[in-house]
Amino acid sequence: MSAACEMDVLTNEIFPILPPVMRKMFLRADWKKVGNIEEIRMRCNQPLIIRDSEHEYGLDPRAGVTADINKSYRVNGEDIMRTIAAISDNSLYAFEEDIRKGFITISGGHRVGLAGQVVMQDTHIKSIKEFSSISIRIAREIRNCASGVMNTIYSPADKVRSTLLVSPPRCGKTTLLRDIARLLSSGSRQHKGLNVVIVDERSELAGCYLGIPQLDVGPRTDVLDSCTKAAGMIIAVRGMSPEVIITDELGRKEDVDAVQECLNAGVSIISSVHAGTIEELQNRPLMKGLLESRAFKNIILLSRSRGPGTIDKIVRWD
Amino acid sequence: MACFKMIGTALIISSLGAWGLSGARGIGKRTEELRDLRFAVAFLEKEITYMHTPLTRALERTARMCQQPVSALFLESARRLKAGKGLTAGEAWMSGLESLNIKSNLQSGDLEILATAAHHLGVSDSSDQKKFLVLLQEELKVQEEKARQEQAAKQKLWSYGGFIMGIVIVLLLI
Repeated sequence: MSAACEMDVLTNEIFPILPPVMRKMFLRADWKKVGNIEEIRMRCNQPLIIRDSEHEYGLDPRAGVTADINKSYRVNGEDIMRTIAAISDNSLYAFEEDIRKGFITISGGHRVGLAGQVVMQDTHIKSIKEFSSISIRIAREIRNCASGVMNTIYSPADKVRSTLLVSPPRCGKTTLLRDIARLLSSGSRQHKGLNVVIVDERSELAGCYLGIPQLDVGPRTDVLDSCTKAAGMIIAVRGMSPEVIITDELGRKEDVDAVQECLNAGVSIISSVHAGTIEELQNRPLMKGLLESRAFKNIILLSRSRGPGTIDKIVRWD
Repeated sequence: MACFKMIGTALIISSLGAWGLSGARGIGKRTEELRDLRFAVAFLEKEITYMHTPLTRALERTARMCQQPVSALFLESARRLKAGKGLTAGEAWMSGLESLNIKSNLQSGDLEILATAAHHLGVSDSSDQKKFLVLLQEELKVQEEKARQEQAAKQKLWSYGGFIMGIVIVLLLI
């Protein structure tokens, strides 16, 4: 993403939710030395911290961007309260479900994580009140970041091979999955566009706000927002006649069962899983079973060795 | 001459009588406004707790449901929130109250009760919102009852008082 475009995202989508004092500081600061901002963290009575992909920075009220976070502006309770008021459009009651999950997705698909005093009801989280921390994760769309892997995803017969992306956290799995969804859905001169369903349990892939995807996931894509993966995959097959289902971070037994079910129904699955190497993956019994069943035809290993989204290795299983 | 006296007498009595009656009606207005407010808060409560309507729109819809001067409170708060200058719901509500104060016959006690809403509006989950909005309605109802009792006593005084004062002045002049 170009620097100008990046600034646009910040001024239009992120700055409006910040309290006026902080908004002024952000607008005045010189961001040239900072890479693409990934995260803004506000903790009550602690310094404001901004992160790009490599470093963290503070924001000095007078000197602007600083590497020494102790000089950074101290966030107070009112800043937190005002930010939450702005995020929720002064209507926290309309976001109960999101608060129970621990985050609110705002316009633009950015995710705002919340922490504070949790109210429990039996073993379930009922709500969070007295908010103490906010973490704003800026959704990043990198168009065509998946074009390098598309020729391994399409099989010679113009089918889609089921693919599993494997990497530790923060290596760009979600960004890559989103772009794969967009490319499959859009199609190209050689390949026709396909019906894609995204089961977006954590609202990260499509960044839905009020149910509508805020990030470009293509013209033939349906999104089941904040739906559990297992349930979502099954109803997608039943109702939306997908050719490909895309979902993030398989982990539970139900997910693996649902994957099998979808493959048996002739739908391809593209998904991701946390692991450093294929060996690590095989140490997990559930994943070992999944790999041995040859459900996935491609395994793509990602790392950060040359920045997030570096494709380390592509393993073909067919 | 007697004719002029008659006309003058009639004029004095009727004008003071009318003044008394309009004063009496003014007292009645506060009760009416408190009742309107209570209904409006009930409507807002439904919008928030059942419909989960975003606050700005909920306030606008409430304003449309009620009459002047009560609608001024909701209209002004919604307008302030819509302006999007990083204002919280509480701040917008307070400026709504200011404009209500100018237009209505409410007393400072009534406004103070309404001002307590500023701390709660929109900043908690719907069960909390329901609790405070129900409480607010009950408090408004107590104010309304008080106003009604006051009204009965004062209204009589004002409506008779005007005429009596007119008669007394006429008697003194004669």
